[in-house]
This record gives sequence, structure tokens and C-alpha cells, in this order.
Amino acid sequence: MSYVEIPLWRLAIAVLLVGVAILLSRFSRLALEKDLGLGAVRAAVQLIAIGYALRLLFAAEHPVAVFAVLAAMWVVAAWTSSRRAKHGPPSRVLFPYALAAIGVGAFVALVPVFVLVMRPRPWFEARYVIPIGGMMLSSAMNVVAQVFERLFASSRAEAATLEQYLALGATPEQAFAPYVKAALRAALIPTINGLVTVGLVSLPGMMTGQILSGTAPEQAVRYQLVVMYQLVAVAAVAGVLAATFARRLVFTRDAQLR
Amino acid sequence: MASALLAARDVTVVRDGARIVDRASVSVAPASILTIQGASGSGKSTLLRAIATLIPMSEGTVLFDGREVRAIGITEYRRRVAYVPQLPAMFEGDVAENLRSGPRFRGAILGRAEVIALIGRVGLAADLLEREASDLSGGERLRVALARALANDPRVLLLDEPTAALDPEAANVILDLVLALADSGTAILAVTHSVEHAARLGGTRYRMTTGVLSEATASP
Repeated sequence: MSYVEIPLWRLAIAVLLVGVAILLSRFSRLALEKDLGLGAVRAAVQLIAIGYALRLLFAAEHPVAVFAVLAAMWVVAAWTSSRRAKHGPPSRVLFPYALAAIGVGAFVALVPVFVLVMRPRPWFEARYVIPIGGMMLSSAMNVVAQVFERLFASSRAEAATLEQYLALGATPEQAFAPYVKAALRAALIPTINGLVTVGLVSLPGMMTGQILSGTAPEQAVRYQLVVMYQLVAVAAVAGVLAATFARRLVFTRDAQLR
Repeated sequence: MASALLAARDVTVVRDGARIVDRASVSVAPASILTIQGASGSGKSTLLRAIATLIPMSEGTVLFDGREVRAIGITEYRRRVAYVPQLPAMFEGDVAENLRSGPRFRGAILGRAEVIALIGRVGLAADLLEREASDLSGGERLRVALARALANDPRVLLLDEPTAALDPEAANVILDLVLALADSGTAILAVTHSVEHAARLGGTRYRMTTGVLSEATASP
């Protein structure tokens, strides 16, 4: 692999860019200096830690280690998305549902690709499984958080309308359908926009990274395409599941609003 | 009561440890009116919502045509026993769209003539059909909500304070309409805080005080 290494002292120069943002925040009185500073430090600590963790993981190449890391990422993703919904049930109630939606979404996107498309050897090779698994889990996390937030907010704001639908003989599925549709469309649009504008507006991070580290562009492009198609499946599966779970949490078995 | 179309027995609603409705029993026959009059907070609206199956009951049963709600199926029951709240929410779209919503849930599409007939039943002109439902006045909204409920061809109407949010003129229109619906065979169960409106509707009259139902004195 041919790439230019970044020594730590030159990495420090890049920190000055955050300094630019902090200065602008101060001059414009945005009061974001602390957030920017802490964010920059957190990003550095988390990424440096994961850098060493990945190094250990790559060196071990043990399926148990790889899947333990994936499982930890999965739990953090589910926990994060279940905490974002302000209007819904408490996070301990949402957590198992978030876990299921994210898990199934990521599983559907990851397994066929590793078995049929990328076929890393060994099949659990951390270099492939961890970064691509992470991308799928984080995309599922965002979709699930967004669907939960929107649906629980609508169930509160539109309670009178929902109840009227029920009173007219609508099933919970029918009553909730317009809101589910709107929430899923909103959750899928960024992924679809990504598909439509990729290569025209942005060169995606993974592809850029592969090219920087010396992968032939036409191969980097293939990887990127696979990942984008995976992201579509993740968003759709996790989103639909999250909407189904939200409906169960909004309505009782007797088709009443909780 | 053998002739009862809708019979609620010992309906009890407990919320946060408080008995909002305490063993209330009412029944209505076809083409008859039953009113429950009571101050706000007496539990009358809660009783009506429980009978409408929109909130859970802690105890009690509701029979429609002698059958329990679960045996009929909850959505079927709600088509037969229509509930109209005091301030009905209008659905997105025009009035015609609103009137078509109930039948659409069971896969039926109302034709133009049926929609015109429905709006006529509540005494509104057909040119209202193209109006955006959210632009209507309070009285019009209530009438559209009634027509929307009637689209399901219900046999019982549960009316929650049908006149409370209206000026006297609009309230009179609604009262006449309710009387006409009862004449045409619909069983009516209405709750109101107005003694005067309860008297105008006539029929069987109950009073509700802190969750307990009692028979009111005969209509003057």
C-alpha cells in the first residue's frame, strides 16, 4: 500500500482548523466554543482509542473478538437511538425495539454482502467486517432514531385525529398509515439523495479513503457502490421495523391510544 | 332490557387510583334518546369514551345487539356505534374527503351522490363539499363530523357535548338534527352539561355526579 503517513505533530496542525471555528464562534457570540473544544477532544480520544483497538483486533483475527466488537457497537447504537425520542416511551422501554430494528436491518445488509459479494477471507476478517458493520449500524441507528422521534411526536400532536380515525372504524395500521408513510419517506430521503448525487456532488468517505490508501479507483468505486446499496437496505428494513414497533407502542391491543 | 340495542353494564373507569366512573349502567333502544347531564369533571365524557371503546374500562361490559364488543370485533363495533367528540378533528383534505374516510377504512368508496346525500342529512349545502375541512366554523365542523360518522351507517350515535362549543343558534340546529336522527331510527346517547339541552332532547334522562349515575327527574 502506498500512502503518505501523517506524523502526530502534523496532525496537531489540523487542530488549528477547529481553532478557526472556535474564534468565529466567539466573534459571532454563538457560545459554541466549549462544545467545539470538547467535541474535538472527544473525537480525538475516541478515534485514537478505536485506532489501537482495531490494530489489536486485526492482529488477533479471532471471530469472537470481531463479533464482540460488533455487538458492543450494536448495543451503543440501540441505546443512542432509544434515547433520542423525546415524546415517546422511556429509553428502557424503547431499547429492545431499537436493538431489534437495528440488528435486523444491519443483518439483512451485511450477511448477503459478506457471503456473496465481498467474500473476505477469513469470512470474519476484521478489516472488512468492523468498518462496514459500523457504517450499517450507525445508519440504522439514525433511521431508527428519526422514525421513533417522528412517530411518537405525531402520535402526541395528532392524538385527536388518530382517535377520530379509530372511532370511524380504522384499524391502528390504517389510522397510523399517513404518519408512518411520512416518517419513512423522511428517513429514506437522505439515503436516496446519496444515491442520486454520489459522484456528482460528493465523493464518499470510504471511497476517498480507499483511493488515498492506494486502492485502484475502479475497485474503490465498486466497494462504494456495494456499501450504498447496503445503506438503502438498512434504512428500509430498520425504518419499517421501527415504525411497526412504534405503532405497537402507540396503540393498545384493543386499538386504543395509549 | 330486551329492546336495548346498546347496553353498558357496571362500567367502571379507574385512573390513577380514582374512580372516574363508578358502576354506570345505561341502555338505549333504537329510535330513542338517552341523555346524561352533569357538571364538567363529573365523569360523563369518560363514560361515553369508555362505551365508545376509546379508553379501557376497569370493569363492566358493553353489549351491542346482545353481543359483547370482543365478539363483534372492535372496528366493526365502532362502525355500528359512532362516537362524535365535542371538538371533532377535521382530517386533511376537503369535506367530501372527510365524509369518505369511514367507509374507505373498510374498502368502500362513496360515490358523489352518496356524499351529497350525507351532507344534506346534516343540513349543509353541497357546495361545502369542496371546502377545505379545516377552514370550517365550529358548528359546521360538528355537522361534518356527524355526517362523517353517519357515512358508516351506524345504529347508535354517542355524542359528547354536541352543543357546548356552539352559539345558541348553531346549538339549536344540532339539537333539531339529533332529534331527526332519532326519529329516523338511530339510538342516541348524548352527554351534556346543559340541563336545558338535555330537556330539549327529551327521552330517558340521567344525571352524573362524581362518577355515579342516577336517574334524573322526568322531563318538564
